[in-house]
Amino acid sequence: MAEPQEYLVHHIQDALATDPRARELGVDVQVAGDRVVLTGTAATPAQRASIAEVVAELADGYEVVNEMTVLSPAEDETIEELS
Amino acid sequence: MRVAAVADIHVGVDSVGRVAAGLRHVNERADLLLLAGDLTRCGEPVEARAVAGELVGVEIPVVAVLGNHDHHAGRVAEVVGILEDVGVVVLDGAATTVGVDGTTVGIAGVKGFGGGFAGANATAFGEPAMKAFVGETKREAARLHDALVAVRPHTDRVIALLHYAPVPETLRGERLEIYPFLGSHLLAEAIDTAGADLVVHGHAHNGSERGVTPGGIRVRNAAQPVIQRAYRIYDLGEPAVRDAPVAATG
Repeated sequence: MAEPQEYLVHHIQDALATDPRARELGVDVQVAGDRVVLTGTAATPAQRASIAEVVAELADGYEVVNEMTVLSPAEDETIEELS
Repeated sequence: MRVAAVADIHVGVDSVGRVAAGLRHVNERADLLLLAGDLTRCGEPVEARAVAGELVGVEIPVVAVLGNHDHHAGRVAEVVGILEDVGVVVLDGAATTVGVDGTTVGIAGVKGFGGGFAGANATAFGEPAMKAFVGETKREAARLHDALVAVRPHTDRVIALLHYAPVPETLRGERLEIYPFLGSHLLAEAIDTAGADLVVHGHAHNGSERGVTPGGIRVRNAAQPVIQRAYRIYDLGEPAVRDAPVAATG
């Protein structure tokens, strides 16, 4: 019998926290039908790619859809007055 | 007094230049830079050296607390040493004072910890592991309180710098089930009891930017995925005149 999807989500999130290629807790993992959909933010394009790689190894038989974004934070001059 | 702040920059060895690029103008726009934890991806010294490299061009004072990611490798002392070597003040249950043009701001910092929020919070009851979990948060809250109390009389403005959240408002957007892992109301209670002008934290990547403690102190979640920019700038304004004599009325 295939692994229930809830356990798969848990195993993927554990791996993303502990696998040296990922080390990211902020990934939202959804299993829907035959797809694993990843959302959230990665620090770099390389980390984004490695996260999908770690997930693909665990989610045998599923298509991994990587919708994570990579932060490219720009400076801006907005100042919030708190006085 | 302009304070720039960002949290959760999660610098890894593949991040070279990404943070530095966002800090190019920080020296002219702010008087002080706060880093509210999770500077590194997993607390390896090689990552701390990468953080130090990203901060080379920053000439204004940099004050930081560590986050849970910075603790993962168990090499906190080395990480702190590397950051201190490049002039970063790393707070852990202590406070520092920065003076700008005759105005002083005190920053009291701790990492903080979880436990949840009033009505849905963990209590130190039952198994030793549960007591240890809540005990850690209580210790962090007490250390923050003491650091705030120690610094407050000597400064015009006071900021509480944390990684974990002191209020649930800045967690809006996160799944409710994980709130107890994102912060604790014990931190807000410590801040309200000791007094502060602003609280800056991170940790909650899917949370919201603005909140307030039950005592009315403004709280800002500066996690980079939340603020979606290199840093936020808060202007704390001119210092209030304390203990000014009451004007005589005729």
